[in-house]
Amino acid sequence: MRKFIFNVILVLSYSFSFSQIKPNERLVYAASYNMSGLMTQLAQVSMETEMMETSKKTFLHLSVQAATFSKWDSFFKIRDLYESYVNPKTLKAILFKRSIIEGSYSKTEKYIFKSDGKTISSTSKTNNKPETKKTFTVGTSTQDIVSIIYKLRTIDFQNYKNGQTKSFVIVFDEKEVPVLVKFMGIEPVSAGNLGTKNCYKISISAKTNALKGKDKNLIWLTADSKKIPALIKFSIPVGTGQLTLSSATGI
Amino acid sequence: MRKLFLVLASIFTTLSIVFAFLPLGTLALIPIGIAILFGFLALKKSDLKQRKAIKVILLFAILSLVVVVGKEIFMKDEVEVDKQFDTKKSESKKDAKKDLEELDDL
Repeated sequence: MRKFIFNVILVLSYSFSFSQIKPNERLVYAASYNMSGLMTQLAQVSMETEMMETSKKTFLHLSVQAATFSKWDSFFKIRDLYESYVNPKTLKAILFKRSIIEGSYSKTEKYIFKSDGKTISSTSKTNNKPETKKTFTVGTSTQDIVSIIYKLRTIDFQNYKNGQTKSFVIVFDEKEVPVLVKFMGIEPVSAGNLGTKNCYKISISAKTNALKGKDKNLIWLTADSKKIPALIKFSIPVGTGQLTLSSATGI
Repeated sequence: MRKLFLVLASIFTTLSIVFAFLPLGTLALIPIGIAILFGFLALKKSDLKQRKAIKVILLFAILSLVVVVGKEIFMKDEVEVDKQFDTKKSESKKDAKKDLEELDDL
């Protein structure tokens, strides 16, 4: 009996200590791009979580990988890797890494979020140019682009009203970018192996040239405790596209 | 008018063949559809003796259609096993662990 209670407490503490984001979760998406009105599947995007233990602490490793389907590789090969190491309880970013290869363009970036909570030490390298190092200040709640996706999943949208907003600040390309998240109701969406799910429809706008249009950048999160991103639609200056969930495992 | 339809059908059939062999998926259906449309219009405007060239053009457009539909049905979208990318991912993890070990008072 004591063992049973211990196990129950262990499971409860485990589930609460990871802020709804569990390790060993793997979400796979098919990324499509709108070409002359037809959605063409270009790449596979996967989002994974796992624990990372050091001698002092335990971190939650969040990663987003994008790879073009083999038929596209000889025309335009993409191998992107975005990683964030966060505090498993608060999802506060500690280390962010970005390594992208898109055709002939390549870039690597590393941000170390200092313990004062407002300083980032960054290292960046683009193509064959020399590596640059920089230290800059950010707000104490500033997140990186990967951890913000997971942070979004911890918001309790159940009590949100249509049009209600929440603000975030992210750091991207060594600059802070304000992001506004708007709740737009609940809609049924096909969610890969999870079937059709009722989803929270969320609009994301950011003060950046990378995103275009009002309420054109949308994310549908399953309206349950897991809040799995089932569908993501984006509008960028060179077109529109979407990420549809193919499979969700370890959730 | 027949000549115009014939030229347009030829141009779009050529595009159809190119698109069918590129990894453009259903996007190739656009030139194929236009090629078939102009091909039939040219066929309508032609005498029985003038139809041979148009039939060849239409045949190539329809073959392109078969290739595109076949590719959509039988070829799966797959990501190639990329050892270089896998190595990069594991090296990135090792480096990250080293960086995290070095961070004090988190």
